[in-house]
Amino acid sequence: MQATAISVQNLGISYRKRLSLRRSEPHVVLSDVSFDLLKGETLGIIGRNGAGKSTLLRILAGILKPNRGKIAWQVQTVSLLSLNLGLDPNLSGVDNAILSALLLGFDRRQAEQSLPEIIEFSELGKAAYEPVRTYSSGMNARLGFSIAIYLQPDVLLIDEILGVGDVEFQKKSSQALQKKIYSDQTVVLVSHNATQVESLCDRVVWIEDGKAMAVGVTGEVLEQYEKCILGKR
Amino acid sequence: MKKFWQLLFFKVKCRLKSEASTSYLNYGWWVVEPILHMAAFYFVFAVLMNGGTENFVVFLLCGLIPWLWFNKSVSNATASIRGGYSIMMQTRVPISLFPAEIVTQDLVKQLLVFVLLLLFLLAYGTTPNIHWLALIPLILVQLALVLAVSFLVAMLEPFLPDLRYLVQTGLMLMMFGSGIFYTYDLILPEHRGMFFLNPMANLIKNYREVLMYQHWPDWIALANIFLFSIVVLGLCVLFLQKQRTTYVRLVLET
Repeated sequence: MQATAISVQNLGISYRKRLSLRRSEPHVVLSDVSFDLLKGETLGIIGRNGAGKSTLLRILAGILKPNRGKIAWQVQTVSLLSLNLGLDPNLSGVDNAILSALLLGFDRRQAEQSLPEIIEFSELGKAAYEPVRTYSSGMNARLGFSIAIYLQPDVLLIDEILGVGDVEFQKKSSQALQKKIYSDQTVVLVSHNATQVESLCDRVVWIEDGKAMAVGVTGEVLEQYEKCILGKR
Repeated sequence: MKKFWQLLFFKVKCRLKSEASTSYLNYGWWVVEPILHMAAFYFVFAVLMNGGTENFVVFLLCGLIPWLWFNKSVSNATASIRGGYSIMMQTRVPISLFPAEIVTQDLVKQLLVFVLLLLFLLAYGTTPNIHWLALIPLILVQLALVLAVSFLVAMLEPFLPDLRYLVQTGLMLMMFGSGIFYTYDLILPEHRGMFFLNPMANLIKNYREVLMYQHWPDWIALANIFLFSIVVLGLCVLFLQKQRTTYVRLVLET
């Protein structure tokens, strides 16, 4: 039995939608989600657009507090990695990389240590010292991914990060991610891409209408998910 | 704690760099902008009006420069938490970062303005004297005040977005009540107590004592302003720390 990293019980979250000065109505995003994230595993989260996947990641990262339910962390650092954390178009790739690392809770020394690796992996070369506004969207994505992959929190939360850049970089980035996953890194991965989830995740949580419809081994849950989607078409 | 300071200073460095990179003169604006300001006042009050009171330009600048600092930081900080939206939604940063980076950014530029003010005083024929040293504690006390007021308005704004308008009006009122264009002698003696309750009026009087009249400042008043500011600032920081997720929600919902 593996140790639990984060456990989530009957989680519910809703936002207040302001209608006028005094009236507001709740907008329920998640109503009942329970699962355990085990240390060292890669957990996939699937569901349609607007199912609340990103909100769930934000709760796991401790950014948002749920209205209902319990969440318990048994780990120190949980980082939500996204492609463009605080990217300032007027600053160089290097400055942006350091800034992102600091914002994610790393200290200056750690940030500077991983800098050469980040630059090398991103294949930006001299462009790393140019302002980000001169980058193509592919270069931007490569920088974002490289920053994300070289910082090492206890739990890595990844929101639709794959499939960036050109074909070659896509291959390289999924390899890097795979390497990370096979090492003892605990990962939560949100993705639309069933193939990706199948090849990377040990277990999957399927979210629909704010509820966790199924939690379990990747193959089984994906099968149910696909059946449901096809059935509704 | 160490991480917070590293983040704050690097973020401010980045903001300054980013801001400078969007103009041709870059960092030159830090010097040129205040010089243009001073030149405009010099032209109007020393050339066109030929000085109502003697040294009116100096008198004016000694009040105006500290005031503009206060005014700028407080207005910039008001919506700072809202401005941190995209960062707040992606990582667990302390909310204090957002007002703190605004105030620090303004402080860096302001220090240069104080140097220019001293140069202007020299050019105007004032001899430097020991009392100028009191400028250091004066600036520190004003920094504490600027931080306290900036944090307070920034802390309240997400709850009351309309506060932005009130802050502007409040600053305008406070400007007229700070004795920038007139000396406190013009205030009726029975109202002077009330006048000096405004910490900016008090600070501006002390800036003039130090820079123009070669006096030491009113240390007791400075100590009071400092203590009051530190207490307010401490409470704000504590509140922002405790209510981090509340702020994420507030900013998300409005």
